[in-house]
Amino acid sequence: MEKINIICVDDQQEVLDSVMRDLRPLTSHVRLEEASGAADCLKLLEEIDGEGDRVALIISDQVMPGESGVDLLRKVSSDRRFAITRKALLTGQATHSDTIKAINDSHIDNYIEKPWQPEKLLAAVKRLLTLYILDAGLDYAPFMPVLDQPTLLSRLH
Amino acid sequence: MASPSAQLPEEIFQPLKRLNRIYFSDPDHIIELAKGGCLMSEGEETRRIYLVLKGALVAYRHAGPLDGNLPEETDSRGHEVFRATFGSYVGVQSFFSRTFRASSSIFATEDTELAWIDDTASAVGEEEYGTFEHQFIPVIVYELAVRNMRILSHAVEKEEAVRLLQRAEMAATLGQLSAGIAHELNNAVSVITSRTEFVARGLANHLADSNVENSRLFLLGYEDKSFAGSAMLRPAARRYEKEYSLSQPAARVLARIAPDDSALEKLGADFIRHIERNYHFWELGHDLRDMQLASRHAAGIVRAVKLLGGGKPSREPGVDVGQSVRDALSLLESRLKLVAVQMDIRPTPPITADVTELIQLWTNIAKNALDAMAQAGTANPTIKVAASSYHTESLGDLLPTEYIRVSISNNGPSIPTNVQGKIFQPNFTTKKRGLDFGLGLGLSIVRHVVDSYNGTIDLVSEPGSTTFTINIPTTQIHGED
Repeated sequence: MEKINIICVDDQQEVLDSVMRDLRPLTSHVRLEEASGAADCLKLLEEIDGEGDRVALIISDQVMPGESGVDLLRKVSSDRRFAITRKALLTGQATHSDTIKAINDSHIDNYIEKPWQPEKLLAAVKRLLTLYILDAGLDYAPFMPVLDQPTLLSRLH
Repeated sequence: MASPSAQLPEEIFQPLKRLNRIYFSDPDHIIELAKGGCLMSEGEETRRIYLVLKGALVAYRHAGPLDGNLPEETDSRGHEVFRATFGSYVGVQSFFSRTFRASSSIFATEDTELAWIDDTASAVGEEEYGTFEHQFIPVIVYELAVRNMRILSHAVEKEEAVRLLQRAEMAATLGQLSAGIAHELNNAVSVITSRTEFVARGLANHLADSNVENSRLFLLGYEDKSFAGSAMLRPAARRYEKEYSLSQPAARVLARIAPDDSALEKLGADFIRHIERNYHFWELGHDLRDMQLASRHAAGIVRAVKLLGGGKPSREPGVDVGQSVRDALSLLESRLKLVAVQMDIRPTPPITADVTELIQLWTNIAKNALDAMAQAGTANPTIKVAASSYHTESLGDLLPTEYIRVSISNNGPSIPTNVQGKIFQPNFTTKKRGLDFGLGLGLSIVRHVVDSYNGTIDLVSEPGSTTFTINIPTTQIHGED
């Protein structure tokens, strides 16, 4: 069966470790992948796509050496293979007008402010994962334990 | 009153020549004043206009309104208002305004000769040149022009002084604030640092009693020194996941312990089997390691803030600036491995300084350069460091003439012109925040330290070449603080 991936992108390993840890409850049903920057994430996307697997969500840090999170997510948005992939930005600068503009301009579904609360991060990711599974037309039944029930219900009605 | 200025047009002096010849050439109306002598005192009656024939004078005035009474501290000379030399007039304002009172106290700074007229003088050649007052219009105009220019330049000087004062006040406030914050944070951070160590040791002992393998995993995590990024570890983690049927998190931990097969072999098959259910012991150790690194990092920031807060530096004579530059570079050795370093450090005279402060200067500038080049992904990153000493033309006895110059250049991106004025402000940073050092304090510390040595910072930045040049006088005129 094709696997469903969630990719976390951050250049700081400590932060990446924390995100991965907070999202570990999801690993019973989806794969968690990590990337250390925009370029690494694009490489990883090719690998996953090459194996015929899916990417449900990319959670990226905004400020990174090389390309920023917004640039990365914009690039992914314009790639038809990942058109329905959900995008979230993890940033400590969500109040910067530059960041807000970037978010509005680049089809980002959600932004999560640093520092985050683990349960809120998990809830947001569950919501986005639910939306992806519905958009992709997948059978949601096997994923029930990692889906967001209210989102599922409101979409089904 | 003031000396004829080169900034005034020549035409203004022409009409003065006749007046000087006609009215200021009476040998009975010439006085001599020895150096230090007083021509008039502020507030006293004077009915004369003087023309300086030789020598030079200086005028002082006390603060406060002039009501004929001098302020209490009559021994102090007050503020310098103007200087007069050959060709200057003194007393024009009080003469023609008919106040007949000296608006300042005037002393000879060298042996001086003055010609004078008083209010009994009458017009010469009235039919041709008009009344006395009419003839003196050029003098009055000249006087007004000089005064106007003086006020203008005073206004500019004052503006500049206020700006400097504001900057100093800002720095002082920030210094007091940050010293307080640094003190509080220091206590908090040292608690975290020491307790993390206790917890780690306690856990390691506890685990060793119950399960040696788990204790080993824990310590491997706690003492992990690798900084391999996820991109490098992913292929190994994938492989381990498949080959040893490990869960994704367990395979990820295994890849971090053993990034290649030879390292994996050393661990043994039992260890690999064990890790599937117990990888979280490694993570536990690794978490404590991250906490320790983070608290050490915080302690480093606190130290930097303390320096900004003006903790008492101890300055001693005989400091070799060149050596401090070499020390700074060796502190940054691990980071400098990635760039080419060109050094041109010449012998410089010893100065009175605090070596720690100097090292702080050079490391902050060099770090900034390294960060800028790393962030921009500069090709063939290069840092050039040069130190030498030089002499300047003396601008008066008060200014030092010998300086040490240290310049640090890099071939990274240029600093935009609109940003150049801001980079020395605390809080200004283009770097990311978080565990990386990017508080925006680095260059403001540089400014603070250089100012305290009465030095200067020059910044020249264009694409492919950014140079910070620090000039520090070898002698400190204004004391040591």
